[in-house]
Amino acid sequence: MAAIVAENLSKRFILRVRPQGRFAALRALVRPERRIVDAVKGVNFSVDEGEVVAFLGPNGAGKSTTIKMLTGILTPSGGGARVLGLDPARERKRLAWSIGSVFGQKSQLWFHLPPADSFRLLGAVYEVEPKLLRERTGALVERFGLAELMDVPVRKLSLGQRIRCEIAASLIHAPRVLFLDEPTIGLDVVARKEIRRLIEELNKRDGVTVFLTSHDMGDIEKVCKRAVIIHHGEVVVDESMKTLKHRALSRKHVGVRYARPTSMDLPGLSPLKRTEQSARYEVDTNRHALRDVVRALAERGELVDITVEDEPLENVIEQIYAARSGAEAAAVTRGGSA
Amino acid sequence: MRARLYSVAASTSLRERTMYLGNFTASMLTYGLFVFIFSRVWAGAYAGRSEIAGYTQSMAVWYFIVAEITSFGFGRYFWGLSRDVKSGQVAYQLGRPYDFVAYNYAERVGGSLADAAVILAEGLAVGFLLVGTPPSAGGGLGAEILRGGLLAVSLLLAGSLNFLLHFSISLTAFWLEENDAFYWVYQKLVLVVGTLVPIEFLPDTVAAAALWTPFPYLSWAPARVFVAFSPADALSLIARQLAWVAFAVLLARAVFSLSSRRVALNGG
Repeated sequence: MAAIVAENLSKRFILRVRPQGRFAALRALVRPERRIVDAVKGVNFSVDEGEVVAFLGPNGAGKSTTIKMLTGILTPSGGGARVLGLDPARERKRLAWSIGSVFGQKSQLWFHLPPADSFRLLGAVYEVEPKLLRERTGALVERFGLAELMDVPVRKLSLGQRIRCEIAASLIHAPRVLFLDEPTIGLDVVARKEIRRLIEELNKRDGVTVFLTSHDMGDIEKVCKRAVIIHHGEVVVDESMKTLKHRALSRKHVGVRYARPTSMDLPGLSPLKRTEQSARYEVDTNRHALRDVVRALAERGELVDITVEDEPLENVIEQIYAARSGAEAAAVTRGGSA
Repeated sequence: MRARLYSVAASTSLRERTMYLGNFTASMLTYGLFVFIFSRVWAGAYAGRSEIAGYTQSMAVWYFIVAEITSFGFGRYFWGLSRDVKSGQVAYQLGRPYDFVAYNYAERVGGSLADAAVILAEGLAVGFLLVGTPPSAGGGLGAEILRGGLLAVSLLLAGSLNFLLHFSISLTAFWLEENDAFYWVYQKLVLVVGTLVPIEFLPDTVAAAALWTPFPYLSWAPARVFVAFSPADALSLIARQLAWVAFAVLLARAVFSLSSRRVALNGG
């Protein structure tokens, strides 16, 4: 069953533009200038119950706007969405009982109070019976390792500790779908790893559907089984991580080192880096058979070392992000050039 | 009605507000200074006169002490609400299964109860020091207790009315990037119409017109309940406050309903 469905989901903002030049403020009063921004342009995707999906895109791509439409905070300008069978725009309050959300750049915890107070308040918000609230809080404290933090004012917690508390707080009402908007932003390596482990566990043990936005490729590769990439307000990629890696990673990095100075010219390939005895090539395997490239390099001289590496996923995402249009971005994943 | 939620929200907010006693220092100092300055102003104004518009000098000082409680005790909502709308922090609240207006009322007015109690206690102490005992409620201990109870009700209604008007003004941030000007105009009207001087000090036509606005019911009403107590007048003032609170609830709900359709939370 689909937990989340977006159909031609769109959001248009009208921004007031401040004109430049003399008497600009006066002119703006008489004839205000407005700019239309299509933050989300008719996106379509669906997420099955129990899936962990990465929702990616560069800054300003429309990720947060989409999440806010899916949680009912923003009303779509066009199209629609269903989350757990409900229309978020019309049934926001009803939906709120079954979903949880964490916005990494904002906090739902009371800054000067210990997390225990926020948990108690959220229990009241979601009408969790006091006995059940105690049990759930106890279980979350154990699972998220919060025992030592529950009576420390939030302002004294590290960012990693706070995010652990934020995610735990969002689970107090046992939501079926969890929206995580950049939950690992600003965290160090250890804290990121810990948050990833917790998300994975939540999904595996409790079957919580997770819809995650992040700029951290580690989050995506480790936690998510599928990626939806939005760019310029359009969905440009919607594939399993495995397919994305195989289809998009058609580029290999081939490094070669010779025993003595060697001519390394290969027809149709120019090295990324080159010295007298070594070179590094980016090989698009859609154009050049890897086997032929390796053989040609081996024939050039006495080899000391040769390496073949996948292009890091981060580079591919970077190329998609660098594309100037949705169509151009989609071409990157099909093996074309951005 | 979600009594448990609203009581937990109010108590949580109250707990946060009382975490650091230093939170009250600035408002206590300013309030004490204002009361002192106005007591001197009235001393000058009453030189050679026993009363002005039915107020003795002592009544005028006590009037100011009570009238300012709304501003100092229940007066900080606009900034917090506007900031939450502009920063997008409001996103969390909009995604919760509760009545947005009622929840904000419980949370924000709940926290203010500590400020109002501290300012009231300071006002009573400073008033005793400056002008002696307050005007009698006229009728022994029973009347004093009744006055105290009705004053508490009137102050709570004044605080509630102030919250609801601040709420409606602050939600204009959904339309306007810069909505502080509305608040400044509102604040000045509150000061002029019934806070700095009793309504009775204003010219008759201005006073009559002012009574048709909500401003006197933020400060003049509780101050009158205290300095010129009569049960019938106090109940009449409280009834009018209730009517304005009911109007302000409708206004706040209408503004929220309109503004929540205009939510535009950009940039994460």
